[in-house]
This record gives sequence, C-alpha cells and structure tokens, in this order.
Amino acid sequence: MNEIVKTTGLTKRYKEVLSVSGLNMSVNEGRIYGFLGPNGAGKTTTLKMLLGLVRPTAGEIEIMGLPMNGKNRVEILRGVGSLIESPSFYGHLTGEENLRILQTLLDVPKHNIDKVLQIVGLDDRRGKKVSAYSLGMKQRLGLAEALLSFPRLLILDEPTNGLDPSGIQEMRELIKSLPKKYGMTVIVSSHLLSEIDRTAEDVGIITNGKMVYQGSLESLHGIDSSKSLEEIFLELTGKERGL
Amino acid sequence: MISLLKCEHEKTRRRHVPATALILTAAMLVWIYPKHQNADLLRLGWMEYLYELPLVNSVFMPLLSITVSSRLCDIEHRGAMLKQLAVTVRRGRIYDAKLIYGLAVVLFCVGLSWVMTVAIGYHAGFDGDVPIKLYLLYLLFTAVPTAAVYIFQHTLSLCFKNQAVTFISGITGMFLGVFSMFLPQLPWLRKSLIWGGYGALDFVGLFGWTKENRYKFARFDLMEIDWKFFAALIFVCAAMYAAEREMFKRKEL
Repeated sequence: MNEIVKTTGLTKRYKEVLSVSGLNMSVNEGRIYGFLGPNGAGKTTTLKMLLGLVRPTAGEIEIMGLPMNGKNRVEILRGVGSLIESPSFYGHLTGEENLRILQTLLDVPKHNIDKVLQIVGLDDRRGKKVSAYSLGMKQRLGLAEALLSFPRLLILDEPTNGLDPSGIQEMRELIKSLPKKYGMTVIVSSHLLSEIDRTAEDVGIITNGKMVYQGSLESLHGIDSSKSLEEIFLELTGKERGL
Repeated sequence: MISLLKCEHEKTRRRHVPATALILTAAMLVWIYPKHQNADLLRLGWMEYLYELPLVNSVFMPLLSITVSSRLCDIEHRGAMLKQLAVTVRRGRIYDAKLIYGLAVVLFCVGLSWVMTVAIGYHAGFDGDVPIKLYLLYLLFTAVPTAAVYIFQHTLSLCFKNQAVTFISGITGMFLGVFSMFLPQLPWLRKSLIWGGYGALDFVGLFGWTKENRYKFARFDLMEIDWKFFAALIFVCAAMYAAEREMFKRKEL
C-alpha cells in the first residue's frame, strides 16, 4: 500500500517546550487514519506542520511521495484539503460566497460548490451569511471548503467539535464514505477514543509529542484482548506521561 | 494575481471598504474648503493650498491608511481565514494581493482628493490657473509618503489579530508626524519618521505673514526640494515591503 504521508523525525520546539518530538508518521493511501491523543499532545501542531502552517524544528515530511519544502509546498497542498482547529470563513459573506472565493483561488470547476454544499447538507443555507450560521453549520462549511477540490488527502482536526449528537453521527458517516466514494485518504484527529474507534481504520496515538502507537485499529484492539480499548489507550498514554 | 485581486474585491462585499475610504476623503475635502474668502486669500489661494495641505494630509492620509488596511485584514483574522488561504496560495502572493488592493484604494483617494482640490480652487475663485507642475509635484509628494505609511500599516494589520495594535501604532505615528511639522528647527525629526514625509517634502514656505497684517504682505515662495529624502523614502518603501513580506511569509499560523 502506498504511503501518502510519511514523516521522519518530525520535531517542533517552542522555546523550552518540546511540542512534537521525533514523530514518524505513516499514513496509507485510501484509508482513514485516526490521530488520537489527549489535549495538548501535539496533534494540531503535527497537522499544522504537514500543511506548512508551522515550521518544523527538525525532521522531514513527504506527502504523495514528494518531500515537502518551502518551494513546492503549495503545489503539493493542491491535492490536500484541510480543516484545522476551527473552521475558516468570512462571516460577512454567505456560505456560497465563501466557497466561491476558494473555488477561484483553487481554480476548480464552479459546480464543485454545488456538489460540496450538497455533500455537507448546507445546500438550503447557501445564501445565508455565515455569521448567522450555528457552530455546527460553520463546521460543515469548513468541511465543504476542505472538500472543494476533491483532494486526494483530507486532513481534519477535531471535525466533530461543536456538533450535536446527530451532527456527530452525520459527520462520522460522511468521513467514512469519503475513501470509497471519492478515493480520498482521511487523517482525522480527535481526543475522543470512541470517535476514532468508530471512524478510523488505522490509528496513531500521540502523547507528549511522541508517537506511542501506530498501526491498524484491529491490532490495537488485539494488544490485550482482556482489556478494553480505553484501558489500552490509557496504558499507552499513561506510560509516556509517567502515570 | 488577477484572480487574487478579484477575490480581494469579493471579500470586501458588505464591508464597504472603498465607501469608507471615500467618506474619509470627502471629510478631508470639506475640511480644506476655504471657509473665509477674502481678496488676499484668493490671490494666494493656489500656493496657500500647497503650503497647508501637507499638514492636512499628515492627519488624513494616515487615518485613511489605518482604516483601509485594518478593515481589509480584519476579515482574515475574524474567521481564521489566513490558515485556509496559506494552504491554497503562496503566502507572498496573499501579502501582495492585499497590499495592491488596499494601496489602490488609498492611492485612488489621494488622486481623487488632488482632483477635487484643484476643482475646489477653481470653484472658490483662486486667482489665475492652477500651477500644474507644482501641483503634480505635490501629488507625487503626497502619494509616496502615503504609500510608505500604508505598507507599514498593512503589515501590522496582517500580522496582528488585534487591530488595536495597528490603530494605536498608526495614530501614534500620525501624531508624531503632525508634531514634527510644528518643529521646523528639528528637520531630522520629520525625516526620521515615515509619517513625517508630508512635512519633509513640503516645498512651499510662507514669508511675510504677521499677526497684525496677516496675509496682506504675505507671499508663498518655493523652497528647495529635498530629493535625497524623497529617494530615501522610496528606498524605505521598497525595504519595508521586502522585509515585512518576508516576515509575513515566516509567520506561523
């Protein structure tokens, strides 16, 4: 299986704080990769480094087989959609106007706007100003922006944040359908074990900036069949945190 | 770049950025319209404007720059759009597109205020024809300091989420610029500030004005133009652009 994302010794240090330490991440193409870790573990920083939003202190990043550097970053990222931390939007514009701006910048067909609005279920709210959207609707718009170019790789940082239970379920089903429907690879981060357990096929567990487990979800379940997934997770993250 | 500029224009929808800039320009024009007309003022009108307008510009142009840059950049911060744009377009191009769009709005207002100033002169009945060469020089000496101030404000607005930083820096600079114009004995002060550019490039001086006779025996004479300062200001513009663009490119989002 092709590795669509590969990091080697990825490190980020903020003055005295080592946020990510020597991370070796490997994401296979066409899979849903759950990036799991407690709050402050370094998930968002890692994803930001993959997108070039944060400069790594050390290490290498390879996306779609190409080593990423300052020169080719934007070209590589043309095949990547992302939703990092909170959804990005212009509140004074409508949902459709927001997408039209990105559509122009990405130089993708106009009908992609209709498609993604339908996919995320915002078709009937396209003419409403985003400042009047609920948090859940903003989250959906963020996902629509990430999907707009129908990228090969989708990076979603805590995409269920702010959604109600039915919204969470819809988002989960949507994420699960993406590899089959559109051939996308999805990296989805969360601090919620249950969320990753229900969505991902492969999983990477990070704590204190270090990867403590990486492999299929199935193998994670199989580490110790007498223990629940939660217990395994706590054991893995607790060791690193010295608990 | 064309599509980026188109997007910049799209983003200003319902934000009324050009309209706000035009309102400020209109306020400036109202401010400079001659309130008391007498024969002496009409005789000296064209030159008097060249003498007085740099001071007015040193207040209004920085205000215009603060307003336009802040309104254009604030929309990116409010919805955390920079991180979305930065994965779509090269950061240098984001910086350039926003700068070109904002600078175009501000320089359009500079041009408009120049045209309207000449129109006001004719409407008020200033003696003779407008000394066009001097007025073109004045236009140049208004546009370049305004561009310098705008580049500075643009970077602050783009790099700081909190637009109070932009506002406070801009207003402080504006006051220092105005203050420097009242201290002709300290020419280095106005020359060391980008906001002082309006005063440093002032090329008309007032002579013969007295409290008793006011403008009766007054005359406005041309002073030596500080071309070295003008060249330095253009260099400062280029240097600020290069350094601040690089700073924005390196900023972590």
